[in-house]
Order: sequence, then structure tokens, then C-alpha cells
Amino acid sequence: MEENKNQSLETVAEETEVKAPQTPDEDEPLDKNVRLMSPTRMVMRRFFRSKLSVAGLVMIVALFLFCWLGPVVYTQWGETTQDKSGKVEYTQQPITMVVDGKEVTFYQVVETNKTINSLAKPDKNHILGTDKDGRDVFTRLMYGGRISLTVSFIAVFAITIFGVVLGGISGYFGGAVDGVIMRICDILMCLPGFPILLIIGTLLDSMGVPSQLRIYYLMAYLTLFSWPGTARLVRGQILSLREQEYMVAAEAMGYSTSRKIFKHLVPNVMPQLIVSMTLSLGSMILYEASLSYLNMGVRAPYAAWGTMINIVAEDQYILENFFNVWGPPGLCIILAVLGFNFVGDGLRDALDPKMRR
Amino acid sequence: MLKYILKRLGLAVLILLGVSLIIYVLVRCMPVSFIEGKIAEMNQGGATIPEETVESMKKLYGLEDDSFVGILKGYVNWLGKLVQFDFGTSFKYGSPVIEVIRDHMGVSFAIAFVAVILEFLIAIPLGITAATHQYSARDYIVTILVMIGISLPAFFFGQVLKDLFANKIGLFPPSGMTDASQSYTGFALLLDYLKHMFIPVLTVVILSIGGRMRMTRTNMLEVMNSDYIRTARAKGLGEGKVVYKHAFRNTLIPLVTSLAGLLPSLFSGAIITEQVFDLPGIGNVAYKAMIVADIPFIMGYNMFLALLSVLGVLLADLMYAVVDPRVKLT
Repeated sequence: MEENKNQSLETVAEETEVKAPQTPDEDEPLDKNVRLMSPTRMVMRRFFRSKLSVAGLVMIVALFLFCWLGPVVYTQWGETTQDKSGKVEYTQQPITMVVDGKEVTFYQVVETNKTINSLAKPDKNHILGTDKDGRDVFTRLMYGGRISLTVSFIAVFAITIFGVVLGGISGYFGGAVDGVIMRICDILMCLPGFPILLIIGTLLDSMGVPSQLRIYYLMAYLTLFSWPGTARLVRGQILSLREQEYMVAAEAMGYSTSRKIFKHLVPNVMPQLIVSMTLSLGSMILYEASLSYLNMGVRAPYAAWGTMINIVAEDQYILENFFNVWGPPGLCIILAVLGFNFVGDGLRDALDPKMRR
Repeated sequence: MLKYILKRLGLAVLILLGVSLIIYVLVRCMPVSFIEGKIAEMNQGGATIPEETVESMKKLYGLEDDSFVGILKGYVNWLGKLVQFDFGTSFKYGSPVIEVIRDHMGVSFAIAFVAVILEFLIAIPLGITAATHQYSARDYIVTILVMIGISLPAFFFGQVLKDLFANKIGLFPPSGMTDASQSYTGFALLLDYLKHMFIPVLTVVILSIGGRMRMTRTNMLEVMNSDYIRTARAKGLGEGKVVYKHAFRNTLIPLVTSLAGLLPSLFSGAIITEQVFDLPGIGNVAYKAMIVADIPFIMGYNMFLALLSVLGVLLADLMYAVVDPRVKLT
């Protein structure tokens, strides 16, 4: 008993010795106990703390994996292959006759053998069934997503490059150059966006552009008309940044103009730029889908999410009875746009230096 | 003020000239044979477009000459007619462009007008509650819901609502503006219109609430953090009075400004919504004309849209100075 107590006392003593604060060392730097966080890490932390932005990120990553890895794993059907396994269809027609003075209604059942397994209900052969032409909806969803996402990314990057270069030049040089670029911006911003794309769609019709390339042409035009928003953002930022002291220092160091613009000014615009890029990714997907829906963009047999919904515009029967044909692409569009909006919102809050939560 | 407006109007003329030149060149990039083919198609489809109309239109737009000089000449010709408010005759509809726009504007305006009122009535209270309960469950729920609203594609959501309300429940008619099988008059006709407009308006409202609500929320948050709100609280005012009397007034500034900017766009029509519900609005009419390369209508309609958006920007700027005395226009 006595021994035991002693032992326990000893362990306590040992523990306190370990935990005891070390005597300050003369050579030790003062900030040893201060954890330094780089701005990037701070932004990351704030971004991942918000549940909504993480949810958005998960949605987008999931969609990307689905669209790019999906067709590699699920190879049963191709984008345009039709299920030729055939199907027997029954249609019934009422026939009214007068028999022995009484009116009798028969139902005549007609059996037709179709070569294409069209509008199949979801089963293990076709996870989401087939569309009007017997193509697998699930597979087309993946290929359609590839088009929608690729096109939107290309368009947004192109718009950003145009916007940064022209806005940067405009804001840095000012004067006549600024005046000309800003007037061009005014004009382009007053162009009715969607109608112009419809005109260009008709123009592509008249020139006979192949249907899988149409959407790229359209998005190229969209880029040409949409950079003013980004350019204005960059210009506004640069106008205020170029008056700051560090730019005077850069001037004194004798840096070249392009170095001053692209190494000292543009990086400071990056936070706003990233936010606006993410948010415009969502609207690009909507643009692409709307164009495809109006049969201006990607056309059947090629798949895009908008194209897959297009069918219900002409066919009430499919609208009423086959949600498995037109519902999933719509949900995919919503998921993609929502994901980008959530991420963009989260980034805006995370990158805002005034927000310290 | 007057000088500012005059300056802006001068700039507007310049912008409209630029816009018209771009659209004209785009339209004229279509080969003439394609347009002739479309006209022939329309004639086969039952439309009767008199030969002389087509010829005079072709002459007016300089369609015989596809060279650079020809396009330029056509543009100058078109401008000359524009000054006399003559947009020419639509190939597809066979009547003057201005008349076509005027006749179909009403439907678009009715839908947009009702939708804007509902949008403001719903979005502003939502924005205020979200801002006054920042980071609470209420804020998150409202934000998520309106974000979903922003992310909905009009054509998909419109079809879903159509399927739900018209086909599954059968409460409202799926498309069109009136019931063709009935001939209503007076009040019954109005009721029929309202019934047909219900789903389109619902679609537009749900899609547009998000932007307005987020705008209200951001502004409200900004105002709630300002010093005079702290003063109001410090002198012991109730929270309701602080929010609705002191803060809300300043939140209204950007909302009123945006309302002025919205005014012209009430007339421009919604292409996709009108197409989904097959409404005879200006957007649907324009869509049908645009896919058949109806040059006079395309030019007229797009200039109309550009004019509206120029006016919208100008009105918003003027309104900004009217509601906020701190803003000076130069």
C-alpha cells in the first residue's frame, strides 16, 4: 500500500516534469509558437468550412467523374448506337358495331414487330430506358455531359482571356485606348444575346456546318460577344490598383509595361476573376442547354443535355409518359449549374478579405 | 442633369448604330439562295408572300449584291428607311414589322408585368428575413431554395410544371393563350386568359426570384452593419422599427434602381418560356421568324431589343440619382 502510493506519486512527478514549460531559450525565435497561415491556406479553410461550397464541389466532381469515366466503365451502349433487339408493340382500337340491333364495342388489338427497341422502360439492360430512337438514355447522359461541360469550360476560359487582356490594356493605359475599348464594350453589351445566337444558328444552317461542330461555332460567337463583362471588372480593379504605392515602386524599378500589367496588377484581380468565372460557368451551361433545346446547338443523333430534352417540345406523348427520357438530363443540368453556383458563392465569401469568420 | 441626359442620349445613338451594323452584317452573311429557299418553303406551306414584296424587300436590303460594297449599300439604304420609321414588311407574317411587334407585345408584357410584381412581393421579404437571421437555419433554407431556382433551366422547369399542372392534375391548360373550343367574352374571357397565364407566370417568377432575393439580402446586410443602425438600436428602438423603418429604406435604393432598369425589358418577351407554352408573345413570334431568316423582322426586332436595353441602362442611372441624393450625375 505504502509502496503503491509512492509509485503513483512518482509517476505524477514524472508527468509534471514532462509537461513543465521549458525555460525560454535566448536563441529561440519568438514566433516559434505562432502558427503562420499562408493566404491560400486561409482561403481554403474558409472555403471548406462552408457546407454549401463543399456540397457544390462534390456535385461537380461527381458529374465530371460520371461523364468522363462513365463511358469507359459502362461500354454496353455507345452514344449513337440504337438497340436493334426489337420489340413487340400492342395497340388497341375500339371498333363499334351494331349487332342484332344492339351497339357493341370491340377492342381490336394490333401486334406490331418493331426492329428498334424504342422507349423501353428502365430495366437492367437499359438503366434509364431508351429514347424514341432506341438509344440508351443513361449512356447519352454521360456523352451529353461531356459536350456541355467541355463547351462551357472552353467558353469561360476564352472569355476570361479576352476580358483580362482588353480590360487590362484599357485600365492601364486609359485615354483614347480606354475610350475606344469601352465604347466597344457598350455596343456589345447592348446586343441582344440570345436572339443573336439564334441568328447565328440560322447562319450556320445556311452555311451547312456539320451538326457536331455547330455548338463550338456558337460558343465561339458567344465568347466574342461576352467578354465586356469581364473586361469592365478587370478595368475597374486596375484603375484603383494602379494608383497604389507598390505600383509607383514597380515604376521606379523600371519594369516593363507587360510585366507591370500581368505580374503586378492582374494577380490582384484574380480573386474577383475566379469568382466571376465560376459563376459564369453555370450560366454558360444554361446557355448551351437552351441552344441545344431550341435545336440550334448539338443535334440528334449526337447527345447534349439540352438536345435530350428537346424531344418533349414536339411530342406530348413522351412528355406525359416517359419522364425517364427527358427528366434525367434536366436534373443533370440543374446539378451542374447549382454546383457551380454553390462553389462560386463559397469562393466569393472565402476570398473576401473583409469576411473573417 | 439635362446636359447629362443629352450626352447619354448621344451615346445611345452611337451604340445603336454599332449594334445595327453588327446585326446587319451577321444577317447578310447568309447566302441569298438560302433566304429564297426559305421563302419558297413558306409559300409551299400555305403562306402567300407576293412576289413584288419579296422583290422590293430584296432591293431595299440590297440582297442582289453579296459583295462588301453591296452589303454597305444595303445598310445605308436600311438606315435611310429606319429614319422614316419604316422597318419593312416581314416575310413570314406578311405585315409591316412594327405592326407585328405591336400586336404581339401585349401578351409578353402581361406575363412579364405580373411576374415582376410577384417577384418583388416575394423576393424582398425573403431577402429581409434571410439577412436579419444571417447564418441561421432560415437563412440557409431560403438561400438553398432560391439558388435552386436560379439554376433551373427555363425550358426544363416549364415542361415539368406543364406536365404536373396541366397533364397530371389537369388544373390548368398546357399551352396557348385562349381556349379555342370556346368563345368567351367579357369576364369569362379574362378568366380564361388568367388560367392560361398561370403556369408561364409561375415559371418566370420561380426562375427570377433568386437574383432579386440575393440582391436584397446583400444590401440589407450591408445596411444592417452601418453606424446609424447601431445608433438606432442604442437609443432603444424596437428591432422591428430598426429593420423596417431605418434599414429597409436604404435597402430600397438599389431595388428601385433595378426596377427602372427592368422597365423596358418588360416589353421584350421571353423566347424560351413563350416557346415552351406556345404563347403568341413577341419572343415566340421572333423565334419563329429568326429560324426562317426573315431579314426585315430580325433587324426590326433586334433593334427594338437594343433600344430597350439602352433605355434600361439610362433609366437605371437616372433613377439612381433620383432616389439617392448622395449621387451626383456628371
